[in-house]
Amino acid sequence: MGLLSLLVFSPIVGFIILFFIPKHDMKMLHKIALAASFIPFLFGLLVFILFKTDEIPADILKWIEFEAGEKSFVIHYELAVDGFSTILIFLTAIIMSIAILAGSFHVKKDIRMFYQLMFLLELGVLGVFASGNLFLFFIFFEITLIPMFLLLSKWGGTDREESAFHYLVYNGIGSLILLVAIAAIFVSAGSTNFDTVMQHFATNENSGLALGIAIALLLAFGIKLPIFPLHSWMVKVHVDAPIPVVIVHAGVLLKIGAYGLITFGIGFFPVAFEKLVLVLAILGLVNLLYGAYLALVQKELRAVLAYSSISHMGIILLGIAALNESGIQGAIFQAVSHGLIAALFFLLVGSLANRTNTTSLKKLSGLARLTPLLAGFLLVAALAGLGLPGMSGFVSEFMVFLGLFEQLPWIGVIGTLGLVLTVVYMLRVVMNMTFGTYRNMFGEIKDLNVYEVVPTLVLIICIIGIGVFPNIIASTIQLTIETLRLGIGG
Amino acid sequence: MIDYAWLVPVIPFLSFFILILFRTKMQKTSGLVATIFSGLTLIYAIVIFGQLIKRQTYLAEWQWLTIGTVDISFGVLLNPLNGLMLLLVAFVSFLIHLYSIGYMDGDKRTSVFFAYLGLFTAAMLGLVMSPNLLQFYMFWELVGLGSFLLIGFYFYKNSAKKAAKKAFIMTRIGDMGLLIGLILLFWQTNSFRFADISEVILAGQMESGMITLIAILILIGAIGKSGQFPLHTWLPDAMEGPTPVSALIHAATMVAAGIYLIAVMYPLYMASNVALAIVASVGAFTALYAATIGLVQDDIKQVLAYSTISQLGYMLLAMGVLGYTAGIFHLFTHAFFKALLFLAAGAVIHAVHTQNIKQMGGLSKKMKVTSVTFLIGALAISGFPLLSGFFSKEEILAAVWANGQYGLFVIAILAAFLTSLYMFRLFFLVFEGESKKTIDKIQPTPITMKIPMIVLAFFAIFSGYLNTSWFETYLADWLASGATFLSTHHHETPLWLFFVTILLSVGGIVLAYFIYGKKRINQEDWKSSFPGVHTLLKNKYYIDEFYQLTFVKATNAIGTFFTYVEKYIIQLCMTFVKDVVQSLSKTGTKTQTGQTQTYGAVAFLGLVLIVAFYVLKGGY
Amino acid sequence: MSSVPLQAYLIVALILFCIGLFGALTKRNTIIVLICIELMLNAVNLNLVAFSKFGASANITGQVFSLFTITIAAAEVAVGMAILIAFYRNKRTVNIDEMNTLKE
Repeated sequence: MGLLSLLVFSPIVGFIILFFIPKHDMKMLHKIALAASFIPFLFGLLVFILFKTDEIPADILKWIEFEAGEKSFVIHYELAVDGFSTILIFLTAIIMSIAILAGSFHVKKDIRMFYQLMFLLELGVLGVFASGNLFLFFIFFEITLIPMFLLLSKWGGTDREESAFHYLVYNGIGSLILLVAIAAIFVSAGSTNFDTVMQHFATNENSGLALGIAIALLLAFGIKLPIFPLHSWMVKVHVDAPIPVVIVHAGVLLKIGAYGLITFGIGFFPVAFEKLVLVLAILGLVNLLYGAYLALVQKELRAVLAYSSISHMGIILLGIAALNESGIQGAIFQAVSHGLIAALFFLLVGSLANRTNTTSLKKLSGLARLTPLLAGFLLVAALAGLGLPGMSGFVSEFMVFLGLFEQLPWIGVIGTLGLVLTVVYMLRVVMNMTFGTYRNMFGEIKDLNVYEVVPTLVLIICIIGIGVFPNIIASTIQLTIETLRLGIGG
Repeated sequence: MIDYAWLVPVIPFLSFFILILFRTKMQKTSGLVATIFSGLTLIYAIVIFGQLIKRQTYLAEWQWLTIGTVDISFGVLLNPLNGLMLLLVAFVSFLIHLYSIGYMDGDKRTSVFFAYLGLFTAAMLGLVMSPNLLQFYMFWELVGLGSFLLIGFYFYKNSAKKAAKKAFIMTRIGDMGLLIGLILLFWQTNSFRFADISEVILAGQMESGMITLIAILILIGAIGKSGQFPLHTWLPDAMEGPTPVSALIHAATMVAAGIYLIAVMYPLYMASNVALAIVASVGAFTALYAATIGLVQDDIKQVLAYSTISQLGYMLLAMGVLGYTAGIFHLFTHAFFKALLFLAAGAVIHAVHTQNIKQMGGLSKKMKVTSVTFLIGALAISGFPLLSGFFSKEEILAAVWANGQYGLFVIAILAAFLTSLYMFRLFFLVFEGESKKTIDKIQPTPITMKIPMIVLAFFAIFSGYLNTSWFETYLADWLASGATFLSTHHHETPLWLFFVTILLSVGGIVLAYFIYGKKRINQEDWKSSFPGVHTLLKNKYYIDEFYQLTFVKATNAIGTFFTYVEKYIIQLCMTFVKDVVQSLSKTGTKTQTGQTQTYGAVAFLGLVLIVAFYVLKGGY
Repeated sequence: MSSVPLQAYLIVALILFCIGLFGALTKRNTIIVLICIELMLNAVNLNLVAFSKFGASANITGQVFSLFTITIAAAEVAVGMAILIAFYRNKRTVNIDEMNTLKE
């Protein structure tokens, strides 16, 4: 069993250990869950460091073999990572630990099962990023759906069952389309291994099929990302899911869409995607502006953040549409950066909601008076979200726009409007909450405690670290970008 | 020493870091600590400047980001222009730190205030030392952050909240111009480095249309930051911040960054006459426009804010008529006398706890130092002979004249006249006349506030002699040594221009004296004879209202429209998808009768079908 | 002795199986359904025994199998009857139409 298998299945440890803890020993459960969440974290760190020093060997086992007609199909159990997935794995590990820590503040009932489902979810996500072929990818992709559905429907907010149902329906349809696309790839290439598929489609030019599969992939991952008309499930999840789950969802799960689009979409079908560039760019622009305008008029903090996620995902699409090094690198940066920023935001929103019992913007005002730390961190999160230089958001937005202006300058010009709107809604929401006069509606609320400050600081350090030393990530994904660039033929 | 020049912005950043980390424990000592850090910065900047005089330029770069094959670096560039700005920023920042100890005394969040000051100073120093446009842009946004935080320092005031938000958004709009400009420039020149960019431009490798476009886009950035028309409305509102902040950020340093931007990109502007003409027109228009508003404002800081906008317009005008040194010179002198005016105004506000000049009066007897230093500042800004403003303003007028822009020249003259008029209106209303009853108690001005004012007054008088044809044009020579692209010929100033400048400044002062000092001319008559004009000026030409009605309304309308799209179209689609899935599954449930026999029959039927299929097909 | 051909056994078994299947799918009385299932099992047993004697590679395994089947069938009837009795106690009927709780 290789390192990657250990990484992917390491959350199982937490899953099993929790069975031996009595159900009602809340403190013990929190502690054990948090401790167990460090196991995948350490493996993630190890993978990250090893990837930087030398290549990590892929885990390969022959798994399923069957024949149909003259063709013989072999499906391996194979795990492999590239630069992009290494970073996403590391991101997943960090955010999962933070989400589990946040769980101790936000989850009151059935805490053991909650943590167990979280570990299952982590297993699925790690598997998604570590799989070396499409078949395995799909299996892990499906594994993420189920715990997520249960977490949503059991621990969610007022409208949780409805939200969970929407989540399942949309993502189910997405999975269906993805399955069809994977089947088509499998039949055509005779394998689902990433490299084999890439080479197959690079040499065997079947533009009709390639275009069809590319569109299918766009749809499947578009639901996950989400892309404009398919986004409503995600808003519901953002609003209704319990805080730890939203942290994971906004922080990591949405990135599966970006990962799929970049690794499979551009990676396998660069030529087909070149035909879709304008569509992608317009979709990205719509996402960016539509999300921003809607974030501007929401009355609920979590809804603002949901639409802001849509808006930020638009930037990923724009980066993909640029189809050059800078754009794709920007899109990858944006995926990571948005993961961190969204996690930070929801962590703080959770702490806020715990104190005030509301996230309605009308009721919140002048929080900086009693809770200067919370207010300060919220402001930092907003500044990160609006892409202040020195933070990760700026690097990604800058690279995306740099790339975009080379290919589609007019889209870029309209896109900058989105950047202005981002400032407007971010400041509107955060300043309305923290600035102004404090209306004594919530009594003497206390500022953040140390268990809330530490994860917040970890995220902020990551965000600023990437913003100040972007080459940490850039050097990791250099090879990935290079491969993609060769595919595009730039 | 110069090899560690990157430490210059790090020192104030450390101050920020320490103060924000120990903000509750350092409430009392924060002012002193921050001032010491700021003093260290100043000393270091002076040392570096001393070494720079010998070697002219210094460049150090480190790799920052790799995009494919392009390496973007981060670094430190020092040349005559940068060195001058570095010194100026460090110096004014130090004085403001010192002043703030007295001004902020008693505030509950002093440590936060000084932390923000440190952050701003660090960003501003980083800005002036940037060797490339991208780094420049990053620090450009960060000084905006410092400004935003300090404007919103009194976070519990709704007006401060609005002002801070407005400042951030308005400058961000300008920044987008700069961002687009720098990206376009990158694709033209394949570099962000100032040196590479000017090389490409000077080699004539860019289309002139592209040059003009980029120049205008970058100008939009400068307009946003320097509060030029039409993105100026945030600057008067920014006066919500504590007064030392207004002096440092919104008078001496940050707002001048726009002019500095034009200066560092000057090769680009020199390559496009259209861009230069636009720069000059925006500057001239703003200079006059803001001066007219400054005439009627009743808030002491508002008057100074509009005066700042007007003076920045002046600098922009100078840049637009190839008066590179004149513009920088005015930036230099303006930093001193405008900071001085703000500090003096701050002392007044500190003493009487109001900003309304209608409630002040006769303060000269009670606040000797303040009134004298304010008078020096007012004289300097009015261009009174032998003070610094006189030399720099005269040089700008000369540049405009030499460029042959006679229309702009008239506007500039008018603006200069109005400047001395509104400055002395302010002076006479605040310091002369009878004291009002509303002000019963006057708080004494602490010594930490007086020292910076006296020092600045000194510079407001003498900084002009750095660059005058009477002695030696030190500044011009110094700047020219770093800007080889400038044409070296020195245009002779026509002698009559001196007299025009003197006439304007003295004329304005005398007029102000008669209206506000002696009250010989009844201002009410003026108001009643031009009622429309007065209301128009008083309401700042209704620009704010115009923006509110157009852009803000439109944005909200689009937002609302999208809400309906979301609510009716997207939700409808969502419900539709959900319903389809639900009805499908309902149909599915209907087949599940629970009758085992039916299931068995269906299973058997299936078997029969499979067998029949294979029988007909004949096996596999 | 060996005049009865394999086909005869198979046809009997087929007829038996069809009767059983028909009964199992159509009868309302659960006891009859259970008996019909036994009928089908016995049809299979008949086939097993026939093939063990006349099959292409005739050997004893077929008969062993049929013994197993008979054992299983006995167990199955026991369980089936037990369920049926439990059901009868609840519903006071053995009508198979009433046994539709699977859909809930």
